[in-house]
Amino acid sequence: MKEIRLATKILKTLVKDRIQYLDRLVVDTIGVIARCGILLILYWYVFKLSNGVINGTTFLFAAWSIFFYFSFSVLRLRDISREIMKDIQTGNVEVLFSKPISYLSYRMWWQVGSGIYSFVVITLLAVVALFFIIGLPPTMTIGIFIPTLILTFFCGAILSLFLYTIVGLLSFWIEDINPVFWIVDKAVMILGGSYLPVALFPAFMFKIALWSPFGASQFVTHTVYETWQTNWYQLVGIQLFWIVLLGLVVYFMFESAKKKVSVNGG
Amino acid sequence: MNSNSITVSNLTKKFSFSARNSSSGWLKNLFSPETKEIVAVNDISFSVKHGERIAFIGPNGAGKSTTIKMLTGILFPTSGKVNILGFDPTKDRKKLAYQIGTVFGQRSQLLPNLPITDSLEFFGVMYDMPEKEIKKRIAELVELFDLSSFITQPVRKLSLGQRMRAEVAASLIHKPKIILLDEPTIGLDVVAKKSLRDLLLKINKEENTTIFLTSHDVGDIESLCDRTIVINHGVVIRDLPTQDLAKTFVYEKYIDLVALSNFNNFPELPEGIRYSSKDKNKITVVVDINKINVQESLKKLLDLFEVEDIDVYNADLETVIRHIYERDSTSN
Repeated sequence: MKEIRLATKILKTLVKDRIQYLDRLVVDTIGVIARCGILLILYWYVFKLSNGVINGTTFLFAAWSIFFYFSFSVLRLRDISREIMKDIQTGNVEVLFSKPISYLSYRMWWQVGSGIYSFVVITLLAVVALFFIIGLPPTMTIGIFIPTLILTFFCGAILSLFLYTIVGLLSFWIEDINPVFWIVDKAVMILGGSYLPVALFPAFMFKIALWSPFGASQFVTHTVYETWQTNWYQLVGIQLFWIVLLGLVVYFMFESAKKKVSVNGG
Repeated sequence: MNSNSITVSNLTKKFSFSARNSSSGWLKNLFSPETKEIVAVNDISFSVKHGERIAFIGPNGAGKSTTIKMLTGILFPTSGKVNILGFDPTKDRKKLAYQIGTVFGQRSQLLPNLPITDSLEFFGVMYDMPEKEIKKRIAELVELFDLSSFITQPVRKLSLGQRMRAEVAASLIHKPKIILLDEPTIGLDVVAKKSLRDLLLKINKEENTTIFLTSHDVGDIESLCDRTIVINHGVVIRDLPTQDLAKTFVYEKYIDLVALSNFNNFPELPEGIRYSSKDKNKITVVVDINKINVQESLKKLLDLFEVEDIDVYNADLETVIRHIYERDSTSN
């Protein structure tokens, strides 16, 4: 109960904080339009050159898949790695360790709270814009779409938090986690389908995307394809498997990390 | 009932780190690096009673902050025991956190972009206080710490003095029994320092809060603490009432000699007297009264120098503390 109350307070406080800074929302929106918009224009052109179909997929599916990746990325869950590293490098970890909270759960809720306002606003605006510009694929209008999208979205969010928390916790052992962060982040981007929609992956890479935690954290990009209707439970199952496994890794890493805390001046 | 808030027994903290050996190859340094060890806190023991005001002082690197972090459960001791209000900080960190407040002078716990009340409400929820109680406590703290004039400003726009008052208020939201402060007056001007010290005295008096603070500021120690523990090289070297600290070097007297015209030469002084500072307008000497009394030393000094004025006084607390540190360093 206390955890839920604190989580709600974190979310409310951070939304209040973000609402005061509209410039940040504008920057986030421009960032998404720039990155996602350019990719969509390029893919629209590539699909046009191929008579509208590549590997059995049309631009409509690819566009929504790419959009889901970018929408998810607005939550900035990946930044938890750097926040943990910053806490350790600046010594802020001592302030949080002296409170009656679980450090990691606090950091995770904080990360969700930091991005949720931009995520809701940008996603709503972009969904409306995409709907009017390119329309909806039929797979997004069937009954199971919304519930399974929400389910895989939540699983993906938890998995992303765990994945990037592991990278962040490495700061207790190595001074600079940036090289590791870079590798993990690029793996998530590529296998998640930000550069190339997963439907256009070669078979072996599709398997890697399917079975690795990097790709599994972005299964939200799979939801628009027809295959989702028949294998969503398998994909959510893969996500749950990784959540349990990475959750255990996070737990044991943190238990060990607590004993390694060292802050300037002690 | 145990009257101690804090009991520390044989507490030791060692930090080990791998060090590059320049005579070894990179492969050996990578896979089998040399490990060095620093003893930050070495077998210290002390206890603190409920409502006491303790200054925990020492030079940089003495082990003060390491000790505070072990008391709060942030750092795990290498050996020894800590008991705070019946809790072992390593095992009951969260339970203990409900009973203690912490202020780290160089770090902020407040939400920078929002007004202080948001931070206070936030911490109230963190400490699982009911909404009504949070509101009541915020009103109390606003009055006690005189926060009303800047309560609506975002924290990042506050002066350092205002921010520190807000930091201490935030650490008291849950009415802790002990407040641990790590250099709370660092960077504050004299007015802000006095204001903060007065507030700490007030909460000690009104709420019987035990105060445990580390500081380099002699003013904090003199005006705030009734007991001083001096630590150096990780070892407790003095633990005594603050008023007795000044008497530690009572065998030393300081004499200022102001020149009638100018002091042109500085002759060798009789045994038991040494120069503390010397320039052409003023000389300060230190007299060891175990070797020579004040009257005798004045006579000898007046034979050596032509003076306009003389001042005889005891060492101030800052000098006493410096002496303690220096003496301990020499003995090591």
